[in-house]
Amino acid sequence: MTEHGQVETGAERRELTPLDPRQVAVLRIRTGLVAAVLAAIALILEIPARELGLPDFAVAGAAIALGLAATLLVPRRRYRRWGYSEGAEELQIRRGMLFRVRTIVPFGRVQHIDVAQGPIQRPYGLATLILHTAGTHGAAVSLPGLAMADAEAMRDRIRGKIREDIG
Amino acid sequence: MSDDLAPVARRLHPATLIARWLKSAPQMAAGAIGLSAAARDKGMGALVLLALVVLVAAAVFAGIYWWRFRYTIGAGEIVIEQGLLRRQRRVIPFDRVQDIAIEQKLLARLFGTAAVRIETGGAAKDEGTLDMIALADAEALRDRVRHGARAASEAAEAPTEEPVLFAMDLPRLVLSGLFGFSLVFFAVITGALQQLDQYGLVNWSAWFTVERADRATELFTARAVIGLAGLILALGLVAGVVRSVTRDFGFRLTRTKAGLRRRRGMFTLTEVVIPIRRAQVALIESGPIARMLGWYRLSFQTLGADRKEGGVQVAAPFARMDEILPILAEAGFPAPPPRAEMHGVPRRALVRQAAPALALAAVAAVAGLMVEPWVGLGALALLAAALIGVMRWRKHAHALGERALYVAGGFLKRRIWIVPYEKTQTLRVSRGPVQRALRLSNLLLDTAGSGALVSPEMHDLDEDEAEAMAERLLALFQAARKRIRAGA
Repeated sequence: MTEHGQVETGAERRELTPLDPRQVAVLRIRTGLVAAVLAAIALILEIPARELGLPDFAVAGAAIALGLAATLLVPRRRYRRWGYSEGAEELQIRRGMLFRVRTIVPFGRVQHIDVAQGPIQRPYGLATLILHTAGTHGAAVSLPGLAMADAEAMRDRIRGKIREDIG
Repeated sequence: MSDDLAPVARRLHPATLIARWLKSAPQMAAGAIGLSAAARDKGMGALVLLALVVLVAAAVFAGIYWWRFRYTIGAGEIVIEQGLLRRQRRVIPFDRVQDIAIEQKLLARLFGTAAVRIETGGAAKDEGTLDMIALADAEALRDRVRHGARAASEAAEAPTEEPVLFAMDLPRLVLSGLFGFSLVFFAVITGALQQLDQYGLVNWSAWFTVERADRATELFTARAVIGLAGLILALGLVAGVVRSVTRDFGFRLTRTKAGLRRRRGMFTLTEVVIPIRRAQVALIESGPIARMLGWYRLSFQTLGADRKEGGVQVAAPFARMDEILPILAEAGFPAPPPRAEMHGVPRRALVRQAAPALALAAVAAVAGLMVEPWVGLGALALLAAALIGVMRWRKHAHALGERALYVAGGFLKRRIWIVPYEKTQTLRVSRGPVQRALRLSNLLLDTAGSGALVSPEMHDLDEDEAEAMAERLLALFQAARKRIRAGA
């Protein structure tokens, strides 16, 4: 399956806004950290592997190679799969590489909104916007990788719309 | 009923003392037996003394609870004060009260009292409970909270008969019990035996000897096994009947101003009001044999703090379709269309539903023929799995009605969900790798208070259709909300 292609199907084709490009770096650091932990475990597994007669650094080498490949290749692809569109009355989010998910949150259903910033996001000035609804399966819908100012502006816009909806 | 123009602090009904004492004494006694088992050599006298201490302690605790518990019904609020060491004063304004449930356990019915549970719709801990007050007071309190003080006195003068939407007589109860076949008594018996064993009252390891086991195996003749199976079946049927008769005895569903009032119970009489405004989804379900005979069960998924019921309230446990439809209409839910008018799932979804099991079955069959005969049995099981997949595929369907989305599904137990468009919380279209290759997608209309296990998710729709339907459902949701706001 090609990287682009049949993502934006549907009766009404909408332009999706991509996340902030700096999100690629955030995703890369996160993948890299996971890869580093797995590589460390693989290094420990070298000891029993040697007793089984496997060549030196077969396990650790494979783990490190895989981790490097994932860190280099996956973040950009994952980043490209993310996108959102802020409509007049709802927010739509598309995400996922293997499992593709499109979520639609009508603003009238938003209970409260969070803007969160993790330790990796902070140096890049990025934030995650989280919309909370009363739903069960999608009770918290999050949109990561927004510039802090954008996330806050979006939060205020949505908050204004919730008020309109109640009033 | 006392005239309460001026708010007076009141205590619970004195019968509370006895009820609480009886309720806590066995628990404490059980603990005491456990203790005494540890100190068995102390003799009978110590045991009796211990039991006495426990009973007195339970009575003292019950007394303190009753003494410290006061409630005041004011003009617009109820105040509950309780606690000896950690004192607590809780104010519940009437307009915050979502629901008042009245429950009468067996003991409460002897005294003519009831437990009142006040739900505020917040977290489950924020409820107030009056356990117990006189039944008449409980009903007056409920009417007062519902309609304000003035309406309550009017209601007391002329009790209006609420129209009955659904009721169950004894033959119907017994019949419904036969379908509620239950092996719960097994769990009860083994649980009781374990309990006895734990406290050292019965010593199983001495009871089960090799000779006895040998003699027991001699007893397992074909006739004995068939007899035993028959006995288990009969016991299961009886247990099902007993359970449903005691739970649903005197089942009455009536229409109130704000919702549906359900009364049921033989020993524990419960009364619950399902507020129509809070009903999110209606669910009609039926097992295979009951469905053949035309029996269904109707429940509503509500937005409530009541975690015990899982947010699902039964409105008619065992009813004909022509009894269910008027209840749906009263609750403002449209009737589902017949299956023939609903849209099924594309044929290629079978590739996902049945093909993997079928392919594995073929492999297992070959392996069974070539290598190990018993692997062939696995092929049969996989074949059955594939068949179930095909059945599921055939029964899964949906329809977009004028006011609601209908989703049908299930293999043995079939379900039809009725989801009014305005209850939408979020919409989600999702597809995994296999679905992507087949151009299929799932579509979920998420509602509040739904169970995580059974939800009206539509599986394996055509990808383009799912995307278009999400847009359509969003538009229908917004139109429904606008209509409601204009009407309100």
